[in-house]
Amino acid sequence: MIVRQLCARQSRQLLAVNRQTRTLTRFYSTETTVQTPVTARPATEPPRAAPISVRRDAKEAWKKREAQKQKFHQLGSEVADSYQPEELIRNPPKPSDITLELLLASQTHLGHSTSRWNPQNSRYIFGIREGVHIISLDVTAAYLRRAAKVVEEVAARGGLILFVGTRKGHKRYVVRAAELAKGYHIFERWIPGSLTNGHQILGHCETKVVNGMDQEIPDLKETQSERSALKPDLVVCMNPLENVVLLHECGLNNVPTIGVIDTDADATRVTYPIPSNDDSLRSVGVIAGVLGRAGEAGQLRRMEAARSGHLTYPALNPEDLKIEKNVSDDPKIANTVSEEPKIANAVLEEPKVASTVSDEK
Amino acid sequence: MASPTPNCMRHAMLSFRQSTSSSLRSTLLRRSSHLSSPILLRSTRGYATTADPDPVPAASEIDFEQFTVQPARVIPASPAYFSGSPKFIDHLLNLESICARYASLPTVAPGDAPRMAWFKLAQFRDFVGESVPTKKYKNLVKILHRLNRIDQAMVPMEVRDTLKTFLRPGNPYGLKPAPATVDDMGRARGRGKRKTSSAVVHLVEGEGDVLINGKTLVDAFPRLHDRESATWPLRCTSRLDKYNVWANVRGGGVTGQAEAVTLALARALLVHEPALKPLLRKAGAITVDARRVERKKPGHVKARKMPAWVKR
Repeated sequence: MIVRQLCARQSRQLLAVNRQTRTLTRFYSTETTVQTPVTARPATEPPRAAPISVRRDAKEAWKKREAQKQKFHQLGSEVADSYQPEELIRNPPKPSDITLELLLASQTHLGHSTSRWNPQNSRYIFGIREGVHIISLDVTAAYLRRAAKVVEEVAARGGLILFVGTRKGHKRYVVRAAELAKGYHIFERWIPGSLTNGHQILGHCETKVVNGMDQEIPDLKETQSERSALKPDLVVCMNPLENVVLLHECGLNNVPTIGVIDTDADATRVTYPIPSNDDSLRSVGVIAGVLGRAGEAGQLRRMEAARSGHLTYPALNPEDLKIEKNVSDDPKIANTVSEEPKIANAVLEEPKVASTVSDEK
Repeated sequence: MASPTPNCMRHAMLSFRQSTSSSLRSTLLRRSSHLSSPILLRSTRGYATTADPDPVPAASEIDFEQFTVQPARVIPASPAYFSGSPKFIDHLLNLESICARYASLPTVAPGDAPRMAWFKLAQFRDFVGESVPTKKYKNLVKILHRLNRIDQAMVPMEVRDTLKTFLRPGNPYGLKPAPATVDDMGRARGRGKRKTSSAVVHLVEGEGDVLINGKTLVDAFPRLHDRESATWPLRCTSRLDKYNVWANVRGGGVTGQAEAVTLALARALLVHEPALKPLLRKAGAITVDARRVERKKPGHVKARKMPAWVKR
């Protein structure tokens, strides 16, 4: 074998081989020439919390910086009527604020590509623009108002309203709507079977017995250990396409549903459709905000009625909670509370859509 | 159909006419009945608020005592009830809202933040009583880390209290072993392991005698290489003639025993002179070699070697 230019070929690898691990250095030396400087270790004090004066200085410096930021923030030109995404969460629109301008600005009119349409939505569709279906805004407004009314009435009758938005940006809108309407929220996956197999899935989740003023009655806490899981009285779904199972379960359990129906969704899956764009966070934010505000109004009405001393819904039967333990000899009374839907499941009237065509005639 | 007066005006006029005529009629009737007694007439002056002859019965008093005690309905304890893990989601939303509220506070680098022992996953599951997936808990811990990075001088009370609820009981980072000291007879003790050998070294100041298992260095390690290894910590710090070594080594072969003595000796030397640490670290004397022989597996010839492939 002829080896040419051995050094040039192998030198890099040889260099790499030559680098010794630190542990091995000891085998190459027999004598040390290093003079070890031995110095006494300075006594280290244990680190203490910053003294109060330092703390105050840091706080004041920060306050000063913030004040300055605030001051400079106000300088410059003012942009009026701009879209503030945070405003949809801070101060969502009320049902009375629904205008076609608001809906148009929040892109609720944009549907899907015409090839993806569901022909059941043809009556909500205004036309086609650049290959995309445009949803009729007056229809959206009418159906949104109807849905808001449903939410308000359910809230006023003490129903449990569940807001569901399982897409990526829906979390804050859904949580905020639930907070306003004193409802419930899901922003992650709906666990299939939460309604049809509720005892298994929601059995460990806590419930409480409340009086007409929504104050908990702690004495009745122990009656809740053997209860079956609760079911919502109304489900508001922001993305029905991904939550088919949820809507199916609601159908099996006679739970009315409200859903944002885009042009590619099946409108018959929900009880009260809102034809609108469900892919834009802004449009979903507006719709969730409106429904949340509607729920808020309903809750206000309910609390007002409670303050004047009457319930807007049939009260819980105390016997169902096993309160009279001494009276009843048999401790194994069926302690399930009769669960009637708080609002009749009957479909409200079709909303009246102001038909612009007939007006022009 | 143009009417001269608006509808509302006509309605108002109509209603006014009706009301005046009826009130007039009633007063006239009353007058006529009382006319017979002129003395009484004075007493029946029309006051603005006359008592109605048949007052509407007042609504019965609201019994608020009863109302607040009576159970009205059963509702979930948490707004996240239908998610199946309400407590975890409540914690998460709470932490997120706190994080957003104090986002503008100055932070320190992650290394400078105080070390916190958050719940381990299993402990957290016990804490909330729900089966929380690993990934979700990791995301929650990320928020905890972010809150923990707020400058210590400015941490709000709320953040401090919230973070405290996620700490596991006890303080694992506070429990540090007490630093070893030289005992009253001037001995420093160090222990070391290498391969399957373990060594205990007692180091005293002296003239450079080395006894390993009661034998001299040459008897214990006939190979020069091993002798070099065993005394390397003293050699590299040129302290061979300043200490006496008394070592006890068990287990393993000669190399393992020699290097176990190295580690034990270095550790014992550090008790006498802590300032030597950087030097010993650099010389590789206090670096633990944690490698052990890998076990043989069934189906393998050795730990990893597979039997040769045979056609049949």
